Amino acid sequence: MSENWEPRIMAFVCNWCTYAGADLAGTSRMEYKPNVRIIRFPCTGRIDPLFIIKAFENGADGVLVSGCHPGDCHYTTGNYHARRRWIGFKNLMEFVGIDTGRLHFSWVSASEAGKWVDLINRITEEVKKLGPFLEYRRLK
Amino acid sequence: MILRRDNIKRLVELVTSTGGVFVAPVVDTRQVVYRAIGSGEEIELNYILPRNSFKEFLFPQTEVIARFSMNKGGVDLENMDITPPDTVIFGARPCDTASLPSMRAVFTWDYIDEFYTRREERITVISIGCTQGDDDCFCTTVGLSPESRKGADIYLLETEQGDFVVESVTDRGRDFIQRYEEVFEQRGDVKTKALFMPERIDGIDVERIKGWLSKKENYQSPLWAELARKCIGCGACTFTCPTCHCFDIMDEAGLLEGERRKNWDSCQFDFFTLHASGHNPRDTQFKRWRNRFMCKFNFYPNKFSSRGCVGCGRCIRVCPVRLDITEVMEGISKEQ
Amino acid sequence: MERELRDTARRLLEDKTVGVVVGYSWNRKKTRTTPVFVTKPEDAERLIFNPLCVNNLSVYLTRKYPDVRALGRIGIVAKGCDIRNIVVLMAEGQIQREDIYIIGMTCSGVVYRQELWEGELKPEIMPTKCHNCDVRNPHLADTVIGERVSFTPPETPQGVVFDRIREIEGMSPSERWEFWMGHFSRCIKCYACRQVCSLCYCERCITDKNMPQWIETSAHPRGNLAWNLIRAMHLFGRCTFCGECERACPVNIPLNILNQKLAMVAKEAFDYSSGYDPEVHPPLRVFDPEDREDFIK
Repeated sequence: MSENWEPRIMAFVCNWCTYAGADLAGTSRMEYKPNVRIIRFPCTGRIDPLFIIKAFENGADGVLVSGCHPGDCHYTTGNYHARRRWIGFKNLMEFVGIDTGRLHFSWVSASEAGKWVDLINRITEEVKKLGPFLEYRRLK
Repeated sequence: MILRRDNIKRLVELVTSTGGVFVAPVVDTRQVVYRAIGSGEEIELNYILPRNSFKEFLFPQTEVIARFSMNKGGVDLENMDITPPDTVIFGARPCDTASLPSMRAVFTWDYIDEFYTRREERITVISIGCTQGDDDCFCTTVGLSPESRKGADIYLLETEQGDFVVESVTDRGRDFIQRYEEVFEQRGDVKTKALFMPERIDGIDVERIKGWLSKKENYQSPLWAELARKCIGCGACTFTCPTCHCFDIMDEAGLLEGERRKNWDSCQFDFFTLHASGHNPRDTQFKRWRNRFMCKFNFYPNKFSSRGCVGCGRCIRVCPVRLDITEVMEGISKEQ
Repeated sequence: MERELRDTARRLLEDKTVGVVVGYSWNRKKTRTTPVFVTKPEDAERLIFNPLCVNNLSVYLTRKYPDVRALGRIGIVAKGCDIRNIVVLMAEGQIQREDIYIIGMTCSGVVYRQELWEGELKPEIMPTKCHNCDVRNPHLADTVIGERVSFTPPETPQGVVFDRIREIEGMSPSERWEFWMGHFSRCIKCYACRQVCSLCYCERCITDKNMPQWIETSAHPRGNLAWNLIRAMHLFGRCTFCGECERACPVNIPLNILNQKLAMVAKEAFDYSSGYDPEVHPPLRVFDPEDREDFIK
């Protein structure tokens, strides 16, 4: 791994909370690691585990999934359903040998710009330590 | 000529050290499979029939036929040009080798598929007459036998001592023996083991089946549902079959670049005949199974005068619901 | 037991309670069993039942088989483990209880590796599911055939599948990766695992969707990994551990380990085991505001 290597992190976020939180971080001129690429979804309930697999297939070194805190879902229950799905998917990914440091889940509300900033900085550091996800990228 | 068992390792060395590929049966996860090997130590010679047929060395399950990438001006396209290495298939069974002429017929019929022919030009097939078999072998029923040399370049018979009597069948086989003459010895006084002859299934008459199948009215016969309703539509039979050859061409790509791949396909999949309109002419599973049977015993022999089924029995062994093709053959042989 | 089964099937067909009985019969050489569809009362004699009857026939109840449904109300010969799948199909609204007639068979276990069968049921030739079976006496049936089996499954699940799960959990991530890549790389994408599963009843599987393409159909490790992950994920909280996928796999991928691991997660996280009560919603259909979220930071 070269000194200058920077991880690529995919963030799948919901429109109403985490995306707004990230937006708030931006409009508040807060600085954080530029390694994250954000994809906005209507709701965490829309985030299919396949998206995460696709992200790794396309060269992501780490993935973050984030949405509204429980009770805050714009559609009332989307994040509750998502949470159940994640319990299975996270265990499955761990069981086949994907390092837990590469797959993160979070709740970030529209007002939590600071949490978003800390989260991205922390994940970036963690993935940086793990290095590029070559095991996955080498699969052909 | 004799090939001593101990000399097989040397043969592997000689072939692989000159850039050749040596394919032989090895054990993997409780199964014997044909695989390209690096050393003769890996070879397993105590087997009935490998799980896979060796067609994958001529017709890979997944093959890139073109690459493409986007640039500012348009699309860059790169055709794949293959130069396959010399390949030796060692320990093939006579049923598998008999499938080679059938594969060639398809891939050189209206279009010469160079992905196949170039590989085939570089292949030397060394078959071993079967000294063991099981209940599912039925080569004798479709007109073959463990003595068949069809498709082989060199045919081996195991001796009581575990060595092999060598018989060259084709020019390619003779060249091969000449090239690697140091591993072959002149024949002494040897006794070969008895071959395993699968019992011929009395109730089956392949010609009669062909006759019944070619009658148009039988295409809609209720017999099909009766015999094949239990098929669950997996592709295990077609993917392990030595003569099944269907493939699908897929573009698998990311945002800016991708590959055009030729992947095995199976007529047992519901998706195989699904039209864009949503209509599916083979709308139930037994109709898909009918197609496979028709292909083996009617379309194929009519079109190519080569056999569609070589009686290896793999489709029976791998079938999750034990749909036994010989039982269907028997059922149809009974029809007028 | 077989006498009673045949008589029952004949009676059901004669009085038109059912249009077809889906059961087991012998292959030609009587070495293996195979599914059979009996529509005429006199053919009921073809039905058999013994430890070689491994198939989970509930797959024929799904919408993938319109031709079976067309034969009329379906009578199905089912072991307890097969009935668990029927229960899931009911819970998911795929079949109505009154559309089928369940001929429940009491069972002492089936034979996993049939080449080792010598006419006697021994623990070492039985699959892990049988050693931990709590439905040897069918829990949902219209009629039950066979003597009551007394068997108490062990308190903590036992057998090779559970041993392997513990072993894999003890590995480092890279060892686990290597273990699974070794197995998945053999996958030939024949989809026998999907086809044999009665809970994989989608009319169009995600792997068949190609506009856009989600799962590469190529049988290379990347496509194989995506397929095997998603197959397991789509069975999360649903799989009953009937073991059909692994039995059907022509290349011996240990799918039971993967499925059972997820079944254990569902049990631990939602206190849910599939296939016992058609009235209880499957865990991914519902939620609990108090679900654990220790991993959501």
